[in-house]
Amino acid sequence: MESKMHNLEDRLIVQKNFKYLLYFLIGIGIISMVAGFVLDPERAWANYLLNNYYFVSLAIGAAFFGAIQYITQAGWSSAFKRIPEAMASYLPFAAVFFLFMYFGMHTLFHWSHEGITQTDALLAHKAPYLNVPFFFFRVVLFFGLWILMTKLLRKLSLKEDAEGGMVNFYKSEKYSKILIFILGISFTLFAIDMIMSLEPHWFSGLFAAKSFIAAFLHAATVIALIVIILHKIGHLPMLNRSHLHDFSRYIFMLSIIWGYFNFAEYMIIWYGNIPEETIFYVSRSQGVFGVLFFVNIILNWFIPFLFLMPRMTSRSKLFMVPIIVLLMIGQYTELYYYIWPAVVHGSKFGILEIGTYLGFLGLFTLVVTNTLSKANLVPLNHPYLEESVYHQF
Amino acid sequence: MIMNKKYLVGVFDDEHTLVDAFEKALAKGVVIEEVYTPYPIHEILHGMKNKTNITTAAFLYGLFAVAMLIGGMYWAAVVDWPLLFGGKPFNTFPSFIVVTIVGTILTITILTLLTFSVRSKIYPGKTAVIIDIRATDDKFIIVLDQDKMGIKKPEVTQLFQTHGATEIYEQDANTN
Repeated sequence: MESKMHNLEDRLIVQKNFKYLLYFLIGIGIISMVAGFVLDPERAWANYLLNNYYFVSLAIGAAFFGAIQYITQAGWSSAFKRIPEAMASYLPFAAVFFLFMYFGMHTLFHWSHEGITQTDALLAHKAPYLNVPFFFFRVVLFFGLWILMTKLLRKLSLKEDAEGGMVNFYKSEKYSKILIFILGISFTLFAIDMIMSLEPHWFSGLFAAKSFIAAFLHAATVIALIVIILHKIGHLPMLNRSHLHDFSRYIFMLSIIWGYFNFAEYMIIWYGNIPEETIFYVSRSQGVFGVLFFVNIILNWFIPFLFLMPRMTSRSKLFMVPIIVLLMIGQYTELYYYIWPAVVHGSKFGILEIGTYLGFLGLFTLVVTNTLSKANLVPLNHPYLEESVYHQF
Repeated sequence: MIMNKKYLVGVFDDEHTLVDAFEKALAKGVVIEEVYTPYPIHEILHGMKNKTNITTAAFLYGLFAVAMLIGGMYWAAVVDWPLLFGGKPFNTFPSFIVVTIVGTILTITILTLLTFSVRSKIYPGKTAVIIDIRATDDKFIIVLDQDKMGIKKPEVTQLFQTHGATEIYEQDANTN
């Protein structure tokens, strides 16, 4: 058998034209943001929060994905581990953006209003946790921990490329174990801060866990998409149908968990019928949001569940790519469904939303491709690399 | 059914010699009756071309179960015996889902088990046909039906021997 282990040294070179396209997208994003702040600040801040959360959840989900691969000592994915690493490198940018949210606190979070604790007994009760200084202390703490841990893992990964040996692998595994504990606790609290506290009177026990699963699901889909694109433009020659099947299994499995959590949360609230809980769905059952409720379920659960079930479709790019794109839209509609009724009190959607999304997408792609181009696309000294290259089932 | 078959059995010590002999035999046009290995081997699974439609059957059973369960609960709760539970509508669809999930899993499991049993002609209490007891331990066994091997016996014997068979013997199916 001809060896596939040769010629794995391969660097991504980002084309000039592609970079200009990304700068153009970022330009569109900046114009949309500025126009938004002038024309309709509430909508602009809602956009800002949505896109920030969207891409930070991709980065966090990717970091979690990478850590899981180390902890389970998964062989199949080791050739693609640079992609989750590169996605996690977006975190420092996201940290800056989230700190800028200081100026939009008043618009976004009504618990931050001056003097509201005097008139609102529940918010007074929650004030020891939900107050602006502690909120930003948490943002700084969480991002600090995430950036520290992902940088550490990235450093070990590059060191392994240079030196080889098993030391860095075992160290990475150890730090991955620490990372998933940090992510499990901090990202759920982060989701409560950023999304759930938009409705500070609402109670739900499952929301944070659901947000975590949503982040993991959508990050897994974007990792698969980036791998497929890189393969398409001539990199990652080892990608075969078995790898695709494994990516599909991640998407399939996580979309089932997402559907389960989404249903469990809704069913308990519907059955219990307590005003503290049902308030969330009252404003979200009118007009477009009543439709979006079902659109969410169709995009994030039904389509992946049905179309990734057969063996044939789950190992075919022709089926996977449209499903991935639909899941990326699904993540947007899910966040739109949470944020808009709370902040904008209506279903405004237009050029501002699309422009802002394109801007953030451009920045995210720029950061990811930039990080990818800084190291060899395949981790050459990874102990499981051979297993990954010859992966077949 | 399998009473008067005469088998030619090749015994191999490890996976590599087995796969090697298996692929060479297939290339020569040998019709292989069955391969018994202590664990699943990709090359054998591909080479035997045993395709199963049991997943499709399971999916159809699932659709059947969902239709029957939701239909049944709707019939019981709305059509046949509507009861008022503290202002809930008769058609309490979200709470039907839980029962549907669990019931569907149970239905698929039982019906797939039955399908599998019927298709492979096994039932509780049937005596197992074991060609070579060592295949359940650490040996790799290739079994050929002597009446339709597609090639002459000495040639097969030679092929197996040159590719590392530790033992080749003939056996009647009903002796075990």
